[in-house]
Amino acid sequence: MQDKTPHEACKESCERAPKSETAAVISTPQDTSAIGAMIKVTIDGQDVEVPMGTTILEAARKIGIKIPTLCHHDDLCVAGVCRVCVVEVEKMRTLQAACAYPITQPLVIHTHTPKVRQARRHILDLLLSNHYGECYSCVRNNNCELQTLAHEYGVHSYRFGHVEEPFFERDDSSYSIVRDMDKCILCRRCVRTCVDLQEVGVYEAMNRGADTYIGTFMDKPMAEVVCINCGQCINRCPTGALHAKDPREEIWGAIDDPKKHVVIQTAPAPRSGIGECFGLEPGTPMTFEMNTALRYCGFDKVFDTNFTADLTIMEEGTELILRLYNALVKKEPVSLPQFTSCSPGWVKYIEHFYPEMLGHVSSAKSPQQMFGAVIKTYYAKINNIDPADIVSVSLMPCSAKKFECNRPEMRDSGYQDVDYGLTTRELAQMIKEAGIDLPNMPKSDFDNPFGTMTGSGVIFGATGGVMESAIRTVYELVTGDRIDSLFEKARVMPVRGFEGIRYAELLIDKVGPVPDILKHLLPDWEWLKGATLKVAVAHGTANAKKVLEDIKAGGKLSECHFIEYMACPGGCLGGGGMPIPTSEEIRAARAKAIYAEDEASEVRKSYENPAVLHLYKEFFTEGPCAHLSHKLLHTHYTPRGKKMV
Amino acid sequence: MQIIEREKLNQEIEDLKSQYGSSRAALIEILQNLQAKYGFLSGLVMQETAHALDIHPAEVEGVASFYSFFRTEEKQGKYVIRLCQTISCDMAGKDRVAQQLENELGIEFGETTKDGMFTLEYTNCLGMCDQGPALMINDRLFAKVTPEKVPQIIADCKRDFVKTDFPQIVPSVVQKKGPITENEAAVGEGLKAALAKSRVDLIAVIRESNMRGRGGAGFPTAVKWQLAGAAKSDEKYVVCNADEGEPGTFKDRYLLYEQTGLLVDGMTIAAYAIGARKGYIYLRGEYLYLKQYLEDFLKKRNNEGLLGSNILGKDGFSFDIELRMGIGAYVCGEETGLIESLEGKRGEPRNRPPFPVDTGFGGKPTIVNNVETFVAAALICAKGANWFNQNGTQNSSGTKLFSVSGDCEKPGIYEMPFGISIAQLLKEVGGEDAKAVQVGGASGWCIPRKDFERKIAFEDVSTGGSIMVFGPDRDMLQVAKNFMEFFVEESCGQCTPCREGNVQLLEGLEMLEEGCCSMSYLNELLKLGETMQIASKCGLGQASPNAFITIIENFKDEILGRVPTTV
Repeated sequence: MQDKTPHEACKESCERAPKSETAAVISTPQDTSAIGAMIKVTIDGQDVEVPMGTTILEAARKIGIKIPTLCHHDDLCVAGVCRVCVVEVEKMRTLQAACAYPITQPLVIHTHTPKVRQARRHILDLLLSNHYGECYSCVRNNNCELQTLAHEYGVHSYRFGHVEEPFFERDDSSYSIVRDMDKCILCRRCVRTCVDLQEVGVYEAMNRGADTYIGTFMDKPMAEVVCINCGQCINRCPTGALHAKDPREEIWGAIDDPKKHVVIQTAPAPRSGIGECFGLEPGTPMTFEMNTALRYCGFDKVFDTNFTADLTIMEEGTELILRLYNALVKKEPVSLPQFTSCSPGWVKYIEHFYPEMLGHVSSAKSPQQMFGAVIKTYYAKINNIDPADIVSVSLMPCSAKKFECNRPEMRDSGYQDVDYGLTTRELAQMIKEAGIDLPNMPKSDFDNPFGTMTGSGVIFGATGGVMESAIRTVYELVTGDRIDSLFEKARVMPVRGFEGIRYAELLIDKVGPVPDILKHLLPDWEWLKGATLKVAVAHGTANAKKVLEDIKAGGKLSECHFIEYMACPGGCLGGGGMPIPTSEEIRAARAKAIYAEDEASEVRKSYENPAVLHLYKEFFTEGPCAHLSHKLLHTHYTPRGKKMV
Repeated sequence: MQIIEREKLNQEIEDLKSQYGSSRAALIEILQNLQAKYGFLSGLVMQETAHALDIHPAEVEGVASFYSFFRTEEKQGKYVIRLCQTISCDMAGKDRVAQQLENELGIEFGETTKDGMFTLEYTNCLGMCDQGPALMINDRLFAKVTPEKVPQIIADCKRDFVKTDFPQIVPSVVQKKGPITENEAAVGEGLKAALAKSRVDLIAVIRESNMRGRGGAGFPTAVKWQLAGAAKSDEKYVVCNADEGEPGTFKDRYLLYEQTGLLVDGMTIAAYAIGARKGYIYLRGEYLYLKQYLEDFLKKRNNEGLLGSNILGKDGFSFDIELRMGIGAYVCGEETGLIESLEGKRGEPRNRPPFPVDTGFGGKPTIVNNVETFVAAALICAKGANWFNQNGTQNSSGTKLFSVSGDCEKPGIYEMPFGISIAQLLKEVGGEDAKAVQVGGASGWCIPRKDFERKIAFEDVSTGGSIMVFGPDRDMLQVAKNFMEFFVEESCGQCTPCREGNVQLLEGLEMLEEGCCSMSYLNELLKLGETMQIASKCGLGQASPNAFITIIENFKDEILGRVPTTV
């Protein structure tokens, strides 16, 4: 099942968005023979041929002409509200918004006439007249689209005045997302992100005229709305109106406290993107340079979350096998398909919007939380450290991980398992604060006992990665054969890519002996022989919604056995804690880096990770999905519902 | 208790859904009903409605907070008194009426009496500009209100209008009739003649008449119908823009009530011309008192076989009209804002292209025409193109209904040919001593005395009908301020130039009032006005600085260097 990428889906499913239209799609062109026709337009004297329906902005980009934008975002549907992209089109009285104007006939366009320059300057002056721009103390200083444009257009005075005092109260009630509406310029990217791209619908424009503002339902604080903490709104906010809750001060405090043993686990996606904060091209991996930088910052140990990614595959994969066994052999009522549980945005989404389907979600904790539990139990024990003195930090591409580590159920070690979720952007800030030049750091490896990077763990960073790892391990454990015999270099291509929903089938053509690690659960594999494993992958919660609705309606996806969901478009590498900006190209570059890291790794199958096997031998001695692993590595969920009042 | 309430509410919403449909387009009507029942839209009401329609609660609140007749915070009184604050009523003495209302009720504007009986609110233009000051109480309208009448009005309210001297519907004052207004008897003729023609021939008649849209923008009607007719779609819509919100305009109110037959004829003709089966009349919330009348009228037309299936025996031609109420938003007079509102959304104008004739209501080809356009179209079909275009100018054919208000002896509705000069018009209405005339409403142009020879026509000074006369003693700065206050409130708020620009222009006027605005800053504001004219998203935003610019440019001497009045 091939589906649209999330942003394509967003562009097409705009009927829910009050103010966004599919300008690029002309449903009934007056001359139907012209569909697909090429149209020649002239922009600033240069000719360019574009397919009918291309916007002026896209046509200009094609020939390297830059038109400034604020409300426009490539991932989102057209708004045409900020008007900073206006251009002059010959024979038209008014200026046209380049982002919203579809070319359907030959046009002569000028992008920087005196009228255009004056209009843009006025628009910037107007935005600044209503923007509490205390740039020095703004989280987006030097990475703010409004600031950049003000600079480019030579704003050296506030022509129409300036906001001197904050007007709105900053909302930092959420563990993940802080809203500072004094910085908001009403571009509505967050609204389009939340309503169209993610189908969560936390934000909407409220009131009208000069009183317009972006609000939540009944102005409820972020902690009390259906926000899933995915942070996609942060990634698309042009200014500092939205940002993640920053734990840097607390972490520095812990580092500076000699009594504290501060460890950090680093997820796969940040290493593919952090270079962007240091001027490197997207997709420049910084894995081992970052390890050194983290040590220079003062972290006592640097671990790779790949370790618990592999552990997740062992637990979640075993859970899947058990669900299948119970369903097929014992004929017990079992919730299938099983859903992944790694993405905390997705987990909160289903808790809010489909609480009746929580039984499908794997009880396995996410890699972050498994690591948290293992560090404050096993690691503390073997190193003879009082877990009360351990400060466990996790570097994540994610804003929702901040919420996840604060969930009351995530205290199975007897302490809060993970103390702080740190985003990629925040770590980059810490590294800069420490005066470290990340790209030129010497390389160093991760700390033991949790081993080094594995391919099966690192691909968790891309959409489809969890599924690919699961397939590699489950196939080999069941058949005893190498997955490489089916897919060259173990690249499970059907689950890769950026289509919004992907479906794949895998025939279990033969079975091998049950490996030792699972012998406590199953006598043999015969019951799986000849079965076809059906799986699906969805990313972006709008796509998750489609999958869930299909399952409820008894559609094709209801026959799946296992479905991977990631809240963020592109998976973790497009997470709400990753460097800003984000775009389809940037996400693709990060994915490329992640798959290259996979192929460069020695271990590429979770069940072969020696550190994981060691842990089962030494600590979780009863094996996966047994008593101790259930206590520390599995969890339960809260049906939250979507009612706020 | 709360659970029972919730269940009861959900049952009500389900009932409303079965009446209005379960799509988002039903949202506004469902909210109107729930507000009527509960006095306001509580969080619970908005949330349950959202879930029933499968949209997000924040989206419902976005809609509810957009329209000024919806209330989301506190319960409104049993009687909501809305006093018009727009320029004509302002000039006619609305301040004193306001004061007396506050005195009688012991509350201020924006408040509700403790017993929950009365809420006092300001509203923008009620369409009674020639009979101001006007106020509206629920669905009743009161014209020429004086401070002295206020206690009686309130007393009548308390008796629920069981016995009252105030009329249910205030009649329009037609000062001068003409070809359009004199032909009520032609109802049915145009429709009959139109259905006897082919679609192509029908549009050819309209084209020959040279009629341009009567709403103000002046787009050739035949071209609009032609484009929508040519668009390939199995569903098309005819929408009557009866959201007569432009300050100083009240001629549609007259047509809606007294020429309803011609209006429905015109819509039906348009439906036949473009191949539509469904039409909407989008009636502004301020004309709520016409709702029942219009619904009864449409029902009657249905019974007579003039709406519904096989109209006038024409095989396969069926057309139905549904009445939809606006809820207090000027911007819904902009055709794409109106369509958004019909779709149950915030009335925010869309990007164009695509145009409604191509992608309109529900994404389907839609024509949106003014009330007067439909009426004129019906008459053109009855009497022929030449009958129409013998009046007017070459580029602005026909006669036009003007709504005249302000400082003149005989305010009211005048039908006169396009092309007459402002001086001629002033003579007719008894306003020869005017120092300025605002043509086209708040979004129009202020014409000073020296330019009174200019002609009212699309090629010179165009208007949808609003003519406001300013006598020699009017303070033009106050006039400009009233207009800008109007736009600051009525801008939809989506695009930067209109949302923020109008705030700046209004602040500039306040600076002038304080006597602290330099000429260079004033010139900067004029330039900003030019930017707003060319860079705003919709026609209304583009027109919002017109009054400011023309008043400042023509009355600098009166406006600059004021000595602030100390209070």
